[in-house]
Order: sequence, then C-alpha cells, then structure tokens
Amino acid sequence: QSVTVSGTITDAGSGTLLPGVNIVVKNTSNGVTSDFDGKYQIDVEQGDILVFSYVGFTTQEVPVTGTTLDVALKTDAAELDQVVVIGYGTTTIKDATGSLTSVTSEDFNKGNIVTPENLLSGRVAGLTINTGGEPGAGSTIRIRGGASLGASNDPLIVINGLPVDDNAVGGSRSVLSTINPNDIESFTVLKDASATAIYGSRASNGVIIITTKKGSRNLRVNLDTQMGTNTLPNKINVFSGNELREIVASERPGLLNRLGNANTDWQDEIYRNGMTSSQNLSVSGAIADVPVRVSIGRTYQEGLRLTSKFERNNFSANLNPSFFEDHLKINVNANASFEKNRFAGGEEGNAITFDPTQPVYDPNSPFGGFFQYTNIVDDGVLNADDLLSNSPFNPVANLLQNESISNVRRIYGNAKFDYKLHFFPDITATVNLGFDEQTADGYVKVSPFNPLSQADGRIIGSFSQYDNYQKNTLFDGYLAYNKDLGDFGIEATAGYSYQKFTSEQYNTGELLDDGPDTEPTLNVDTDLVLIGFFGRSNFSFKDRYILTLSYRRDGTSRFSPDNRWGNFPAAAFAWQINEDFFPESQAFSTLKLRLGYGITGQQNIGRGNRDLFLARYVRGLPASQYEFGGEVLTVGIPQFRNENIKWEETTTYNVGFDYGFMNDRFTGSIEGFYKESSDLLANAAISDGSNFSNAGFQNVGNFTTQGLEFAINADIIQPLNPNDFRWSLNYNATYIEREIKELALNQDQEVGGIAGGTGNTAQINRVGYAPFTYYVYKQIYNADGLPIEGGYADLNGDNIINGNDRYLYKNGNADVTMGLLSNMSYKNFDFSFNLRASLGNYVYNNVNSARAQFNLLENNAVASNLPRAVLQTGFNVTEDVILSDFYIENASFLKMDNITLGYTINSLFDGSASLRLSAGVQNVFIITDYSGLDPEVFNNGIDNTIYPRPRTFLVGANFSL
Amino acid sequence: CTNDLDVEPGDPEAFLDTDFYADPASYRSGLAGVYGNLSLTGTDGAGSSNIQGLDAGTSQYGRGWWNLQELTSDEAIWSWENDPGLRELNRNTWNADNVVLRGMFGRVMTSVSFANEYLRQTSDAALDGRGVDASLRADIAEYRAEARFLRALAYYHMVDLFGKAPFVTENDPVGAFQAPEYNRERLFEFIESELLEIIPQMVDPLQNEYARADKAAAWMLLAKLYLNAEVYVNQDRYADCLQYCQQIINSGYELTPNYLNNFKADNNDQPARNEIIFPIISDGVTTQNFGPTTVMVNGQVGSQEANGGNFGVNAGGWSGALRVPAEFSETFQNGNYNIDVRNTLITEDRIINIPDVSQRDTGFIIAKWSNLTSDGQPGSAIEIVDTDFPMFRLADAYLMYAEAHLRGGGGDLGTAVGYVNDLRARAGNPNAVAANRLTLDLILNERLVELYWEAHRRQDLIRFGRYTGGTYNWSWKGGSANGIAIDATRDVFPIPAASLAANPNLTQNPGY
Repeated sequence: QSVTVSGTITDAGSGTLLPGVNIVVKNTSNGVTSDFDGKYQIDVEQGDILVFSYVGFTTQEVPVTGTTLDVALKTDAAELDQVVVIGYGTTTIKDATGSLTSVTSEDFNKGNIVTPENLLSGRVAGLTINTGGEPGAGSTIRIRGGASLGASNDPLIVINGLPVDDNAVGGSRSVLSTINPNDIESFTVLKDASATAIYGSRASNGVIIITTKKGSRNLRVNLDTQMGTNTLPNKINVFSGNELREIVASERPGLLNRLGNANTDWQDEIYRNGMTSSQNLSVSGAIADVPVRVSIGRTYQEGLRLTSKFERNNFSANLNPSFFEDHLKINVNANASFEKNRFAGGEEGNAITFDPTQPVYDPNSPFGGFFQYTNIVDDGVLNADDLLSNSPFNPVANLLQNESISNVRRIYGNAKFDYKLHFFPDITATVNLGFDEQTADGYVKVSPFNPLSQADGRIIGSFSQYDNYQKNTLFDGYLAYNKDLGDFGIEATAGYSYQKFTSEQYNTGELLDDGPDTEPTLNVDTDLVLIGFFGRSNFSFKDRYILTLSYRRDGTSRFSPDNRWGNFPAAAFAWQINEDFFPESQAFSTLKLRLGYGITGQQNIGRGNRDLFLARYVRGLPASQYEFGGEVLTVGIPQFRNENIKWEETTTYNVGFDYGFMNDRFTGSIEGFYKESSDLLANAAISDGSNFSNAGFQNVGNFTTQGLEFAINADIIQPLNPNDFRWSLNYNATYIEREIKELALNQDQEVGGIAGGTGNTAQINRVGYAPFTYYVYKQIYNADGLPIEGGYADLNGDNIINGNDRYLYKNGNADVTMGLLSNMSYKNFDFSFNLRASLGNYVYNNVNSARAQFNLLENNAVASNLPRAVLQTGFNVTEDVILSDFYIENASFLKMDNITLGYTINSLFDGSASLRLSAGVQNVFIITDYSGLDPEVFNNGIDNTIYPRPRTFLVGANFSL
Repeated sequence: CTNDLDVEPGDPEAFLDTDFYADPASYRSGLAGVYGNLSLTGTDGAGSSNIQGLDAGTSQYGRGWWNLQELTSDEAIWSWENDPGLRELNRNTWNADNVVLRGMFGRVMTSVSFANEYLRQTSDAALDGRGVDASLRADIAEYRAEARFLRALAYYHMVDLFGKAPFVTENDPVGAFQAPEYNRERLFEFIESELLEIIPQMVDPLQNEYARADKAAAWMLLAKLYLNAEVYVNQDRYADCLQYCQQIINSGYELTPNYLNNFKADNNDQPARNEIIFPIISDGVTTQNFGPTTVMVNGQVGSQEANGGNFGVNAGGWSGALRVPAEFSETFQNGNYNIDVRNTLITEDRIINIPDVSQRDTGFIIAKWSNLTSDGQPGSAIEIVDTDFPMFRLADAYLMYAEAHLRGGGGDLGTAVGYVNDLRARAGNPNAVAANRLTLDLILNERLVELYWEAHRRQDLIRFGRYTGGTYNWSWKGGSANGIAIDATRDVFPIPAASLAANPNLTQNPGY
C-alpha cells in the first residue's frame, strides 16, 4: 500500500533544522533530500524502511508506520571526526594524541549558568570547578589538581587564541564573569603535557580553550530567556534567642543582664530571596555574503546577601569573511562587556555570633534606626566614644549602610587571518591579533550613620573611589604545512607568539579625612612580557599510527636574562589498535592507545612579583615613614631580590585508552598520568640576613601528582524512533594523589590561615605529605567517647604540650571526584540532571573551632551567640581546643547541581521555528556528613563561613528560528 | 622584539637601586629605611610586612623584642592565647617552630641586611661613581656610623635572645648567602670593636636629630653589653659598664621631672627629650605600626574597666590583652611603693591571681603607657599611638651604674645610692634607700619598678639567676598556674626551624 510520508529532520543535539539530508528507501534507489527548512516528502510502501543519512551524522533507519515521520539525527556517534580546537590549530578526536576533552554547546550543562566555566562543571574527568555563592562569582578551576605549590594553579584560559590574564581587574567578580556563556561554542580542555606543551611556559596547569560562536550563511535567530529566584538552602546552626537565654542561664548566668528581649535570626536578616534573570538574543546570517553573528545578552542576579548584585550586558559580533576563493579567511571577534556590581561584605561570621536576643531596629538609635551597642556621651556629636567599645556592629546595618559599587568595562577580541598560499596551498600562514582591555571604576561609601569610625574616632562615614585598568595584547604568527602522501600524512606548524600585560590601580584613599595617610595611591604593576617560539609536527601512517612532536622556547620578563628562556618539548604517540586487530568489529568499535610525554613551565607567581630579580627600592606610603628630629622622612627600603629565580618545570607522563563499544554507543576513555613538578616556585624561608626579608620566592622543591581518570558516554536507551524514550548518560571519575617530594633544605611551610588568633595557621607543607595537610593536635577522648577539653596527646612524650606535639592529619583535597549527567527525552519532553560527588576531602571546621566554646558567650561587654555544636563538646576555652583534630571533618559529598525539565514545541510558523520551555532547580541537594553549611569550601579545605550558594528555581524559554 | 623582556619597575614608588641613589636625597631616605625597620614592618602601612611567617603587626621589631623580654617573664601575660606562638611564650613552653621567634630572628637579621645594603651603597667607590659632593659625604660619614650602630644593636639582640647569629657583613652578596654562625664570644667581640670604632664618627650626645643615634646611644649599647658580659661570655666587665654609664650620665641627659611623661604621646618632644637616649618612633598617622607602644597602650586597657579613654585610645582598647602576674603586683605591694607614681596598678574589683589565662577579669592591670600627651591632649589616632618606645633611657643608666657598682665595677656607693634615690624622688616616693640597704636584690626590684614593660625583664632575671630553674617561679612559668621550674635550656631561645633549614651553617641551641 503506497503512502506519502512527510516530516521534518532536525539535529538531535541543537534542534536546528537540517537541509540536504538524504532520504532513501532501503535497498532501492528511491530517494529525496530535505529542503531548506529540513522538510521532506516521499512516496513509499507501508513497511518500507527509510534510511536517513547526512555528513557528520549517524545514519538512521526507520520503518514506515504512518504518514508523518520526524527524525532527529544525532551527530556522528563516534564523534571521532568532530573538529577540536587545540593550541595554534585544530585536530579531530580521532587524530588527537594528547589528553583532551572537548565539550560543545549541545552538551553544555543546563540551568542557571552565569559564568562560562559552569557550563563544564562535573563534565570532564580531571577538571574540578568550585564556584562561590555570590552573584557572578568566580571559580577555582583545577585541571588534574594543579601542578604548583606556591605559584598559580589556575589553568591557562585561551579565548579564540587569546590567552587571558588570570587576574580579574579589581572591581570585577572574576576573570570569566564578563564573558557571556551563551556566546560560547565549545571548550577544549587540554590536560596532559603533549597537548599543552605548545603553550610552553603557561601550560603546567592545563589549558582551557574557549571558542565562541561564529556566523552562518543561513539566517538563524535565537532568543533565550530565563527567570528565577535564589533562595537560601541552609543556615549555620546557632542558638535562637530563646535558646540562648536558656544557655546563658545555665552556663554563664552573670551575662543574663546583657541579654535583650528579642528573638532575631540574624542569618534570616542578612539574607533575602533574590531574583535572577538572563536574556540573550543572537542573530546570525550573511550580510553581503559575509557570515556574521551578533548577540546581545543581559544577566541580572541578586545575591542572597542583602544588597549584593551582579549585572552584565554583553555585545558581541563575529565576522568571518573569506576572500580569493577561500584562500584568505578572516575571523573577527569583537566583544564588549559591561559588568556592574554591588558588593556586600561578609557578615556571616558576625550574624552567627550577634546576640539573637537583640532586635534589628531600635527607634531611638542615632545610627539610622538600627540597633547598635551604644554608650552615648551627650556631647552632640557621634564618635567612637558613643559606642560600647569592642562590641560588634549590627550586621544588617553593615550591609545596608555600605554601598560598594563597581562598573567594569571590558573590550576584548581578536582578528585572525588564515592565508592559504596561492603558490603553495599546502601551507597556511596565520596571524592572530588579540586585545583585552578592562577598566573598572568604583567606590565604597559608608553611611555616616554606620558606627564605623575614622582613625581619629570621628563617625562621619567613609568614602573612597578607585580606578583600575589592565590590558593585554597578543601577536601570534605561524605557518602550517599539511600534506597527505598516500599512507603518510604530515602536518607541521611553526610560529612566534608575543604577549604583553600591563595593569595599574588607583585609589583615592579616604576622601572624608585629609590626613597624609589618606592620600591617593597609584600602583603600577611592572609589565609582563612573554615571548615564545614554537613548532609542532604530526606524522601519521595509515591513519592508525600518529606521532606528534612539539617544542616551544619561551622567554619571560619575570626572570633575569640568564634564566628567562625555557625549553618545553613534548612527544605523543597514538595507535588505533582496533584498526589493526578487529577493524570490522561492531562490538569493539574503537580502541585507541595514547602515550604522551612532555615538559611544561610555570612562571606565574603573581602580579606583584614580576621583577623579583631586580635590585629594587620601594618608598614608603605616607603612613609608613620615619621621623628624624620631627621631620617626616620618606623611607626607601630595599626589596627581597632573587636573581636566580627561574622556571618551574612540570614533566608529565600520560597513558590513555579511548574505547568504544557496540558501534560506539558506549564511548569513553581511561587515562593514567604522573606529573612531577621540579624547581617549584614557592615563597620559602631564605637564609636570614642574606636578603631583605626572611622569605621570598625561590625554586624550592619537587612535587608529584598522579592519578587515574575514567569517562564514559553511554546511550543507555537509543530508540529507533527519535520520539520514543531516550536516555543517555555521561559519567566521569578522577582519582588524584599529590605528594611533596622535596623542599629546599627540608623546610616546612606553615600555611592555611585560620580565624581565631592573629595569623594562626592550621596546615603545613612537608616533604612526604600532600600539600596543605592539616597540622593539628591529636584530641584525647574520655571513656564516653567525648573529647576532653584541652586534652591533647603528648606525641613526643616530653611532658610538655607544645608545637612539637602537632601532627599531620588529612587534607582538603578529594581523593576521588565524580560527575554524572543524565539526559532523557520522550516525545517533546526532555529531562536532565547532573550530579557531582567528592570523596575523601576533609574540612577544618573553623566556624566551630573558633566559635563553639562557652567562654565566647561573653564578648567583652556584650553577649554573643555560638554554633549549637558547642553542646556536643561542652568546650569552654577556644585557645585550648582550636587546633584540635576534632574539628577536621570528613566532607565527602554528593551534590545535584541541576535538574531541568523541558518541553519543545516544534510546529511554530509552519515548523520553521521552535520554542522550548523549561523549568528547573539549581543546587538541588547535597548529601554529606559534614556538619557545616556546605562541604564545598575554598582555601584548601578551611571553612570559616562562605557566601552561601543559593538554591535557584528557574523557568526559561528558548525560541529559535 | 625580545628586548621587551627587559622590564623595569613600573610603580611610581619603586626604583632600581641605581635610580634610587641617583637622587642625593636618597642617602637620607635610605638611612631612614634602616632606622625604619625598628618600627615599620613594611612600606604599605601597619598591615604590610617585608618579612614572613607571622602576622605583620607581630613582626614589628620592638614588639618582638618586647614580647620575648616581657611575656616570657613575670611582668606580663598576653590574654589572647589563640594568637600563634604567644601561649607558648606566656608559659615558657616555646619550641623551634614558634612564629614569634621566627619573626624576631628574621626581623633582627633584616636590620643587619638593611644596614649592610646601606654600607654597600655608600661605599667610597659607590659615592665616587655617583659623583657625590663633599658636604653630602660628610653627612654620609655620620649616616654610615649610624647604620653600623643599628647593625651592632641588631647583633646585640641576637646575642641576648638566641646566643648566636649568622654573621653577615656588607662584603657578602645579596641573595641566599649562607652566612657562617658566630657564637656569643665572636659576636660580642664584633659588637664591641665595631662600636668603639664608630663612636668617634657619631654625633655628640643630644646633638643629633631626635631618633637618630648619637654617641650616648652607642655608649649605652656598650654598657648593656658589659653589664651582661658574665651571662654572654663569662667575663667580668662591670668596670667598663660603670664607666660608660657614668659617661652617659655626665653627657647632659636629665631625668624628666614627671616619670610618666616618658610614656606619653609627646615623649618625642620636651619634656622627655632629655631622658630618652634612643627611641623607636611611632606615629598614628605617619609612622603607623603595631609596635610595643600601641600594643601596651591598647593592651593595658582592662576588660571590665574599659578605661581606654584614660589613655587616649578606644574605651575598650584590646579588651584586656595584657595583665600582670601576681608576683609583679606583689613586688609593688610588698615593697615601699605605696606612694610612688611608678605604681600604676589597677586592683579594684580584681583578684591578684590569674587562675585561668582566658578569664580576662582576673589579675591586676597597669596604667603606665598612654596615647595622651603630657598635657592631656589625644594622640593623632585612636588605635595606633604616637608614643615612642624608649629603648634606652637615662634611668636605666642610673640603675646599671648602681648594679655595676655592687657587682664590683668600681665607682662609689654614695653615687650609686644617689641614683636610685633620684629615681625614687622623681617618682614622689618618700622612702629613700639607705646606703647600707642597697643590695642586688633591691636593684632587681627597683629595675622592675622603674623599667617594667620596657623590655628588660627577661634579661634582668637571667643576669640575676632567677629565670630558669626553680629559684623563682611566677604564675604560669612552665605552663602551670602557680609556676614551676623550667630547664636552663630556656635561657636562650631556639634557632627557628625555618632559619635553621635555610642556613645549614647554623646549629640548634642545646636542649631544643
């Protein structure tokens, strides 16, 4: 029985319509192609099988059962031919020899993504992203744990070939917060040295290459909007007003007269539900035959903390014209970003200790109607004398009476010229010019009704302004040669790279006071110039054996002429094993071995340390002068100097297998790596009297990281008909072990500053242990298993409990991290969630260690609240317990970052447009034994309150044409 | 263009050394930098530090010296035992990882390197090269002598605290030079010969600008060295000590009529100018630091009294950060000091003992230091004080004379008793000491009464054999509320572990 079948063909990943798809009745020559709108119509017999095929997509066979048959084609299952951007070039997954993971826009995380890195959270084995809770917050990004001890552990981030400064301009939330996630096409995460070494001195911590979206020849419009509410998921467990009255009555009855009558939950008072929204519009198409894409985006986010907010407006334009029959291709990316922030100071510590029996407001208060601890001296003016000395300020007033605003403007982009030589088309010459300029101005204004006083005691508020500026410019030029000679393929690239970073910061100082110590300051960083010469060649044989060799010679202005050049070689080999042993196997469809070796460098020891090799003098600020006979003299002080400072080098070995089963329905990789960083740059003690400090940056030691990574992408349920139930999973797991192998002269480094005491530390770097291992006393417990206050084990047995009894115990880094993404769809519904887990990470609960002791019920003249954890220990004296290992807790966790349900309407405007509606929750739940607010902390595992991460409820709509 | 790799400091306040010294005014500025290390912890305000391993404020030179002389003795207890290292100083249980020790070792040796750098930059060859004119050269000769004085002072502090030091001079390279270790004998010899050599080049007593060292400062340093020579190098040098004390006393310095004016916000000026021989500067605006005077003025404010207003700081000060052990209070109460302005004890509503260090309402407090001027005006800021720290003052020379005399250094008894009584009389104390009652024990008590909280006590107790061992136990000595004996090891501090590691030529003091 003959029927006419019609339908629409879409890209299963992006939902875009696919024109030009071949549709053939199986085993016949009867066929058609889809039109410009992805539509087709074909006459067939009922029961025939239609074969849908299109370059780059998996061929699908679907039996005819009705008259309508819509098909969503999936990108070629193996994804092996997917082009991946790497340093100074591209490759394909199939030909890649190094350890790299590419994530493209179809596979990005969904939900409330404000900063670009969160598109990747939990998605890549070996990559961890820890994002703060404030609106537009930056993240700590680590690839394979980082390779440095004292130098930067941030990966190099490259946007369209332009490596960006890993310091944000002051006033901006973070390096990436000015970048619109919606403009990003793909990320490539380069993990091992054979992939990164082409970036030489900057690649020890891995590289993240960001490629932004480009113009297309067909008109496409995408409008995306999201709205949501941020809510507070959790609070630190402290006493309520009534509970505190009981506790004080039983534990410190002498303080009862200091309590008030209110019942205030100060955490509820400093937080609010905030709104979050984002709108993005992008249009791409051809203008005068030049593919163009323009986009505008707006993101607005209110933080949980009162007054804090983040606002970003982005404009971007991309042009990629070609000339001379595609011999010259130009790609111009221009982006402008305007970030506006209101910062809110950290009042968490204050809110959990502020007396809950006191009210937020006090109608009689001269401090703007806010309750404050006063001791009014009736002299008609408010100054420090009118306050109860050493008492805390009302945390709500501190937030509402402080206005800290910044405006950040960032203009960045690049122009890339690829010219395929007319007379020798095997060679392409490329020039990439990059530019990134950020300016920020801002001010901090404190109301005169806030109790904050000037250095001389006057309460007049405070006002200061700042202007910060930073710029980086890039010139890259390289030649690429590409030739296939039968079974042999050769690719070679050689080039030169120049990049310069400049920055300065201006601050007016206090404008309401005119003392010499409040004069404006201008800080100009020494320029940083990085120059590199690089080359890479790829040799392939029968597409099965691929050898990559690369080399880079880098110079940095950070080191002396004798030490500034470093050489960074790498080699990698890949073998398509399955092609040799089971080329036809469907069950075992891919098996590739990758071996890599390489050396990368590190010179990034911070913006303030760009000239340590020079003999420098610095003049004291107006507050840091000396007097001779009453004459105030500017001091000139020689600065720590290290003429011998040189590159830190990391040698990486990598073994990986890429696999695919069942015709690549299950794909993934298993990798093992070993990294050894030598000549570690770290701030360490120097022979006293020999320098102008007792410590400074030196090349001190040796440090190793080893690990295993596992990743799998699985199409668990892959129906024949795309409208049926589909389920795919992406799972990865990483195991990492780090150890300090050598420190110069075996010296320990005390690290990990904690609250409670001035300059106290709870961690140490010691040979034989992981970096930032906790360095604490061993708690003694009584027969009931309760900790004995001040009872520390005398580990060295000398009958004195002192620093010699501290020991090394656990650390803040996870042994294993995992990520899981699940995507399901049924008919027009889609449903996805992602989970992250972290195992074996320990947290020092500094919230409790510095606060959960009964003595702290008394805070000078006022009463204070405590974490309820004090009931568990009954501890009284902070000093006796603060460094107890009791406060080190297992903070392993399982976290659901996002869950989203979507519904797509395909039939708008006769099917030429579609609309997807979605609803979801961000930061859905955390399962953990950790007793604090959130087990995911910064500072290498020290939790002294964090800006809570909001739980966000979202709805969104995406319209595409 | 690889030449772009040759960068220069971009900051308007930063210079290459050659550019800095191209300006003739920099010789004075550079000298101020060497002096500045006594007070400033860094170039960017009181929170900045050019040394590491401890909080910036705690790393201040005078504060380190004060902490190690006072908190480890019977004169003071630091209430905030959370602050790293301080609990162990309070309780005499420090070890080689103590951050305050590391800080002081580093800070003092940084003075040595600053002085060495100054001497390098002002060598004849360097001055010739820059064409420095003769009149400036004459000034620079004095500056150089003072830089050498500051270096000798630093080595004296090393001798006293650690009993040894890495020995570095201007002839050694800057970088990571691992200097040889000098023991007490060799350092003693160096300090003595150095001072004797520079004294002729120094300005006469009281003729230099205030805060710059003059001959009297160098004599005082020699006298200190000789007074403690028996402890340091097992030599009897009391006669030399007495001679230099006499020289100081005869050189024009005078006791200020009001004892407490030595410790006020205007002690850089009249009326204390003629009593203070060598100060460490502090100023709430231009020389901001968390040094000993800021610590003492804020720290002596009582937790319950909130009496900071009496001293020109915030009412609550630092909430009872400093108190005195019972034995300190008893010295005043059991001696003839009921009428004596030096007795500033505040005892009301307080018990004399400190049974638990964290209970800040226990133990007596004092009221010696102030950020008010001698006529009651407030200092320029309410936390960081204007009060200078008198590292050397005339009254100390009086008592050193008396002690040196009693220890067989010559001079005469009448003069010695006269000096002690001058101090009592100045303090309004009606009880003069009779010549036959002048004993070493009385001197030790008198030193406490006159010089408490001026960073002398540990040194004094050691010289009198009362520090380690069990002859004299004060509260919290050895970590016990009533005090217990401590090992003689603790007469010197350990070489900080980090310093030992960074310079393998150093050896640890025995027992640590």
